[in-house]
Amino acid sequence: MEAIRTVDLTKRYKNIVAVDKLNLSVDQGEIFALLGVNGAGKTTTVKMLTTLTRPSEGDAFIMGKSATKEPYEVKKFIDVSMQETAIAKNLSVSENLSFYADICSIKKDEAQARISEIVESFDFSSVLNKRAKTLSGGWQRKLSIATALISRPAVLFLDEPTLGLDVLARRELWQMIEKLRGKTTIVLTTHYMEEAQALSDRIGIMKGGRLIAVDTANGFIKKTGADNFEDAFVSVIEKGGV
Amino acid sequence: MSFSRALTLAGRNFKEIRRDTLSLGFLFGLPVFMLVLFYFIFHKLTPQFEMRYLAPAMTGFGQAFISLFSGILITTDRSSSFMARLYATRTRPSEFIIGYALAMVPFALIQTLIFLTAAVVIDVSFFSPYLFTILPLSAVTCAFFIAAGLLLGALCNEKSVGGVASVIVMGQSVLSGMWFPTEGLEGGFMTVMNALPFKNVTVIMQNAAAGIFTFDGVLRPLIIVCAYTVVLFTLATVVFRSKMTK
Repeated sequence: MEAIRTVDLTKRYKNIVAVDKLNLSVDQGEIFALLGVNGAGKTTTVKMLTTLTRPSEGDAFIMGKSATKEPYEVKKFIDVSMQETAIAKNLSVSENLSFYADICSIKKDEAQARISEIVESFDFSSVLNKRAKTLSGGWQRKLSIATALISRPAVLFLDEPTLGLDVLARRELWQMIEKLRGKTTIVLTTHYMEEAQALSDRIGIMKGGRLIAVDTANGFIKKTGADNFEDAFVSVIEKGGV
Repeated sequence: MSFSRALTLAGRNFKEIRRDTLSLGFLFGLPVFMLVLFYFIFHKLTPQFEMRYLAPAMTGFGQAFISLFSGILITTDRSSSFMARLYATRTRPSEFIIGYALAMVPFALIQTLIFLTAAVVIDVSFFSPYLFTILPLSAVTCAFFIAAGLLLGALCNEKSVGGVASVIVMGQSVLSGMWFPTEGLEGGFMTVMNALPFKNVTVIMQNAAAGIFTFDGVLRPLIIVCAYTVVLFTLATVVFRSKMTK
């Protein structure tokens, strides 16, 4: 069953077309990576799918609910880790996690269990009572991502989640994403080719606001005749398709 | 609407404000400093600055700083990814507005308590049992200033909100009649002052402190202030909603 379907999804800012008639389908439990150079329209697409930006034309359906007509129904199914760190900086790590659990209306006992699990998975125990603003950029980023996982959404959007993370933290996050495979639909935007290749079931490549190709990493390598996925990606971008 | 979610937001906002000690010092300290300064300079020169008039009026004036404070808080949040992240949750515009408003109320009440305590310490003769009625009344009047701050915070950006919200502080200063006697004023200026909430806030506080709980003394000005409050909260919610989805 489809978790996400977009129909001619378009976003214009005055004369600029940020996303142009995007038609995309992502199955439930699938990890789908959106790749593209800067300004390709990845973040705008995520913003429309998460109801943060209203499309100029077209619509997106999340778990069958229209993002334009039923945004609050869509919000029941989704969570998002923004490209920038999104945490309450004057709250501690523990308070941030509890805050998001309460905002998502998770019952106290259940929230506590999920927070404990996240604290263990992200190794937050040493910084649990520290205010977010005193943490390093990497820890803040991890906390920002952790808050998106608390609600255990059916569809999770990760907008460049490993940006600013060191290699170890990035690997930890990959493991977290791997654990969600098959259970949570994930849309991931990234600039790291190895990340998209390692994690995603399918990859969509965007250029100039258009989705120019969708395939698996191996599919792109085969079709372009490239030696690796990065070369395949460059080839697709240069040719404007496969 | 989920009141529990609004309370969660209020809890977070309360902690954010409580932990911003510099701004709190400004919020509580500056108006008290002005109270002390104006009292000692002018109270022997003009009755307007006697404690029975000055302290209740300064309570209203101090609340105007709450507008500035709430405006800055909401614009700072709006410019951050934190707020964008919250927009993606099921939190509704009215819950955001209630969350901000509830968080500000305790600080407004503490501010009033500080004023009245400072005023009694400076001039013991100012004390009367009627002072205790100022606290619940200030809980109502502070809602007007909070609503004004939230509306401006929803409309402005981080750079402009300080300047724009200063209009409320100026309004409470110039149009409240706290610095000059209004008895001799007539015509359009007086009509404007009576129609706007600023003078009405001062009238409520001064009459409550004096124990004048008549319709014209407290109730009528309270109705005017409440009407402005309802309109401003509604507008703040509408503007906030429009900003949630660009």
